[in-house]
Amino acid sequence: MRKLIISLLVLCLIASPLLAQGGTEKAASEAEPVTLTVLWFNDGNESDIFMETMQDYLAEHPNIKIDLQIVAFADYQQKLKMLISGGNPPDVARMATADLTALINQALPIEDYTDTSVLEPQFMESMMAYAYNPEGKIVALPTEATANGMLVNKTAFKNAGIDVDELSKTWSWTDWEEAAKKVIAANPNLKYGLPVDFTPHRFSTIMYQFGGHFLNSDQTAMEFNNPGTIKCLKWFKDMHDQNLIPKSVWMGSENPAELFQAGIVACHIGGSWNVNTYKKNITSFEWGAVQMPAGDMRSSVPGGKLIASFKGCAHPQEAVDFMIAFADKAHSGKYDKQTLNLSSRVDSDIQYDSNASDFTVFTNELKVTPAYTANEWKNPNLSKVTGYAKEQIVQYLMGNIDVETCVRNVDAKGADFFK
Amino acid sequence: MTKFKKGTRQFWIPYLFLLPNVLIFALFVIIPAIQGLAMSFTDHGIFTEPKFVGFANFVELFHDEVFWITFKNTLVYSFLTVIMLVAVSLLLALLLSKSTVKFEKGFRAAFYIPSLLSMITVGIAWRFILGDEMGIINYFLRSLGGNGVPWLTDGTYAMLSVIMVTVWTYAGYYMLIFISGLQAIPGELYEAAKVDGASPWYSFRKITIPLLAPTTLVVSILATINAFKAYELITTMTKGGPGYATKFIVQQVYQVAFAEDRMGYASAMSIILMLMIGAFTVFQFAANRRGSDNE
Repeated sequence: MRKLIISLLVLCLIASPLLAQGGTEKAASEAEPVTLTVLWFNDGNESDIFMETMQDYLAEHPNIKIDLQIVAFADYQQKLKMLISGGNPPDVARMATADLTALINQALPIEDYTDTSVLEPQFMESMMAYAYNPEGKIVALPTEATANGMLVNKTAFKNAGIDVDELSKTWSWTDWEEAAKKVIAANPNLKYGLPVDFTPHRFSTIMYQFGGHFLNSDQTAMEFNNPGTIKCLKWFKDMHDQNLIPKSVWMGSENPAELFQAGIVACHIGGSWNVNTYKKNITSFEWGAVQMPAGDMRSSVPGGKLIASFKGCAHPQEAVDFMIAFADKAHSGKYDKQTLNLSSRVDSDIQYDSNASDFTVFTNELKVTPAYTANEWKNPNLSKVTGYAKEQIVQYLMGNIDVETCVRNVDAKGADFFK
Repeated sequence: MTKFKKGTRQFWIPYLFLLPNVLIFALFVIIPAIQGLAMSFTDHGIFTEPKFVGFANFVELFHDEVFWITFKNTLVYSFLTVIMLVAVSLLLALLLSKSTVKFEKGFRAAFYIPSLLSMITVGIAWRFILGDEMGIINYFLRSLGGNGVPWLTDGTYAMLSVIMVTVWTYAGYYMLIFISGLQAIPGELYEAAKVDGASPWYSFRKITIPLLAPTTLVVSILATINAFKAYELITTMTKGGPGYATKFIVQQVYQVAFAEDRMGYASAMSIILMLMIGAFTVFQFAANRRGSDNE
């Protein structure tokens, strides 16, 4: 009898792991169906490529379905705010750095759902800077990096007898001005030298090059009133007055990318995201990215897109698992290659099918960019002032106020948010 | 007893028919308006708890330079838009109310169709037409050797452009209201005036305008309310620029609420906007009553 009891016990001990294993397998195959709501915006065709990229993940996880909602970028932040404040945040959302900064306190810290120490070293430091909330917790994973930079109409420069690739290796803004005048003179259809996107972010590219800044060094107060910013504003107005920069962008909201594609401007201060669109649309002239002219120093502004989840979402664990999968080397590499974006991973080895030299230019711009540019742009209070700053810059360009009033007004407005 | 019940039922039935509309109006207009009023006395971000600040938001408004620019712009835009809308739609109605024009129904439809379009579509389409560098009109002007017109880059032109596009969009809608008003005027009055030797202009001044006064009041009130609320068209056409040239109170409310995250302050601006619309409506009623009394 005793032998029988011992034999049964041993049998149970041997059988239990096998039974448990069978149970786990059953659980995996019959996991509860989950529909992740994913909010996305498009610069080009990113949502299609995103879904294509994640097909293998969805095949491996048949219980996961994606409810993809595409929102226009202009309405994106407001839509997210309404969803979050209404208690119905999406499980996953594509986030531009500016939007993440504005919603950083509502984003879900992912450390409760995964080991973040493994994830952290996989991404560029400049991009990870955007991923931390004020408590130092990771709330997002970088998926693509962007850099502001200059795209030029190489054919127009060639017509003026200028080798822009060579000149741009060492040029200053004074050299650029001289070259732009020659290029306009040599090309009858070309009217202007340079449109700058109608955003404070793109304006700040030139502002940093002239030694300016938005905030004080410890980022506790606005400091738009500084010699570098004033110098840049004066230069910016002078370029508008000389018609080297078209008035129709900052004063008439015309799209600089359309002006560039129409071949009526020599250069465009945009960014790495323009490459995808220009590659598709421009066939009548040769174009490419070149190093931006230097002011007192060289600088771009780092930016990019991240993927994040939000506190109170319906499926936090599945959302975090999905985010990690999308941000891994294979998936983000495939996505970045097809959307013609820079990678935000340190182990990236993307071989672009085209425009590789353009991406090298943008990457080099990021390498010389000081860290404080990213730190300023990740300050949530700055994003509340930039709309007003843009209006004040236009007031100055129109001659309605002087430059001192412009910078003083912006600082006074900012003081409300840095109390 | 039965008589009393019948009387009670007759009293309540009209109210029962009104009830769904009243409920919807209360739920989507009255209650949010009361909440907005309450919010205007708070310091409140979209994700932060409201803090009562009394009249501080309203006091700050009085010193807010940008708010007063948008206030002035709203008045200028609304005043000019309403005057032009009433004039243009009345003119169109006079032309198309009687079958004196060939294809009159086709013209009516053509003038009415823009009011059915989304204002975002209208704004984008007109930007393609009025754009400085990429616009169709300036393209033709430059092809003819001109310099083009700064439709959207000069403050005055930009204001005139948005007024013109608003009139283009809504004139057909108000035209239909005027046509129904004109058709309600008895034809005998014009015939009698003609027999007495009245000129068409005299008939217009002494018969059409007075008898059309109630319709004109309805049109001007509707046009005023719409003008004060203009948002999508301005945002897509000019983004409120250049500078502040076409920025109105509603655009400023949006920026303060969502970009600056100051819902309480934005609510205070909305309350001022609501009072403005109310004051204008009362003024229009009073002016109409005085006109009727003088007649």
